Amino acid sequence: MPAAGTLGREAFGEVKGVYGAILPKTVTPKPRAGNPPPRLAEAPAGIINSIGLQNPGIERFLEDLDDYDIGLPIIVSVAGDTVAEFAELCARLAGESRVAAVELNLSCPNTERGGTTFCARAETISEVVAACRTALPDKPLFAKLANEGALNNALASEEAGADALTLINTISALAVDPHTRRIFLKGGLSGPAIKPVALRAVYEVSRVVSVPVIGCGGVTSGTDAVAFMLAGASAVQVGSGGFVREPGEILEEFAVYLRDNELKAQNLTSALRSRDESQEAMLY
Amino acid sequence: MRLQRAEILSRERFGNHLLLRYRWNGCIPQPGQFVMVRTRSFAAALDPFLCRPFFVHDYDGESAALLVEIRGRGTSLLAGEEEEVVVSEPLGRGFDIGNGPVALVGGGVWVSPLKLLSRRLAGRGIPHELYLEIPSTAPEAYGDVISRIFPDADLVPTDDPERAPEKLLARVGDLSRYSAVCASGPLSTLAAVKRAACEQVCVQLAVRERMACANGSCHGCAVPVWDGGGRTYARACISGPVFLAEVLAW
Ligand SMILES: Cc1cc2nc3c(=O)[nH]c(=O)nc-3n(C[C@H](O)[C@H](O)[C@H](O)COP(=O)(O)OP(=O)(O)OC[C@H]3O[C@@H](n4cnc5c(N)ncnc54)[C@H](O)[C@@H]3O)c2cc1C
Ligand SMILES: Cc1cc2nc3c(=O)[nH]c(=O)nc-3n(C[C@H](O)[C@H](O)[C@H](O)COP(=O)(O)O)c2cc1C
Ligand code: FES
Repeated sequence: MPAAGTLGREAFGEVKGVYGAILPKTVTPKPRAGNPPPRLAEAPAGIINSIGLQNPGIERFLEDLDDYDIGLPIIVSVAGDTVAEFAELCARLAGESRVAAVELNLSCPNTERGGTTFCARAETISEVVAACRTALPDKPLFAKLANEGALNNALASEEAGADALTLINTISALAVDPHTRRIFLKGGLSGPAIKPVALRAVYEVSRVVSVPVIGCGGVTSGTDAVAFMLAGASAVQVGSGGFVREPGEILEEFAVYLRDNELKAQNLTSALRSRDESQEAMLY
Repeated sequence: MRLQRAEILSRERFGNHLLLRYRWNGCIPQPGQFVMVRTRSFAAALDPFLCRPFFVHDYDGESAALLVEIRGRGTSLLAGEEEEVVVSEPLGRGFDIGNGPVALVGGGVWVSPLKLLSRRLAGRGIPHELYLEIPSTAPEAYGDVISRIFPDADLVPTDDPERAPEKLLARVGDLSRYSAVCASGPLSTLAAVKRAACEQVCVQLAVRERMACANGSCHGCAVPVWDGGGRTYARACISGPVFLAEVLAW
């Protein structure tokens, strides 16, 4: 499935028959215009972005929801400034039959705590996930976590009732322009640059929780998706990779890997060999 | 992003500019549209990570051309030795061609899309005039290539970058002589054309912003616009790169 904020309606043609779900850009209670340009800076093996959650707000989003229907389940990513806003968004989506699941974007600033992100404290994660669980009793609830504090936040999310965990969001980054001697962009890093970090988070978290983990961060090929599933992910999201490659090619590479190795996707999550076994395999 | 391989037919290097021609039998490009492009090796390695956007400079039915100013790694790789590029279909919204007469105004490497535009206008017998700024600081090779590519253009030499747009517009004269003005140049030129715009004339500006997906997905290429009285951001890759001057909230 796509990572939140990286697949627009205009590009749905590219992903028909490829993804298993649609996940639109994060929606907030009120419309957000987003940040002034520049919003992007290329980085080694990735991008830094500072979009500012540009979105039309929940009401307008729901008016246009049919445009997102391409015959796939729709997972709605939401973000609020406060715990109460998160819960209100979930309550609004609870009765909406076209919405299959909700993903909480918990890497956004919490205005009740001086703008630190919700992920900064496991107690806040517990509070927001529990409030959303109550507001959304009958639909799957995914908690999307940042890399910082992933383990504690994952345990807190699971305990508070999350049905799945998405790991990870972008990593804080800075682009400085030496020519103008100015900060060019303060934003979040994505793409292959963060893949090893995301793999580690998925690996560590999937070992201590019993809910499924969705891997996200730097997938640009079928074997990247395989690596995430071997590390413990039950599903994978593609974000920046979709800007530079066709998602269909990534899926095709994934299918070729499974065919060549006589494996099934659902078995990959538990197919990681122990180190000794794989080292032995290399010797012979 | 959907990309396809295309054979490079020729590279002509003029100082730090490159005219790159590749075989193209996909969708016919409209003047003002752009493509996302990279060389094959950088496509395989995803290094640099993003594709580079360029206006379609010219198209003759079999090949398309890009006019590239070499700046960083992506453009240096395009100027290298590789025999193929990986390129998207022509993207975005280009110039809207009315019945003329049309003034084409530009400067810098941004004059690129005006070539295809003037070819299309000429093909349809629509009267048009070209006004291109040549800064005195530009390398000699640049002036030579521009006068070769645009033999009919009125080339306007400028010395002081701050006063260049004013000088260029003085040469264009009364805009109301035209039914449309199509501009692609430095931001200061675009801003000056926008200020000079009058009601009867359809003024269209080709703008640029950094791009990642080029298909409307990432919201990275935001351009401030007026929408229903309020200021908002449009995506240059799908709502532009050519915008009506009155829509831009500059
Ligand atoms: C719609 C559009 C049309 C364009 N048409 C032309 C053209 O016809 N001829 C031409 O020479 N240039 C054109 N550009 C600018 C061109 O895309 C950049 O010069 C080029 O991407 C620089 O790449 P680089 O790797 O050499 O530079 P680097 O500085 O290494 O690039 C780093 C990153 O910044 C981006 N970037 C750098 N400069 C610009 C810029 N001025 N505009 C947008 N992104 C930038 C790159 O795409 C890349 O993602 C156009 C840009 C846009 C958005
Ligand atoms: C342009 C852009 C916009 C994004 N917007 C959102 C968003 O609205 N909500 C969200 O939870 N994550 C957002 N993300 C983060 C991605 O969903 C993803 O977690 C991150 O990019 C790492 O994955 P990747 O390396 O595959 O891109 C965005 C990322 C990018 C590059
Ligand atoms: S470049 Fe991604 S929306 Fe325009």
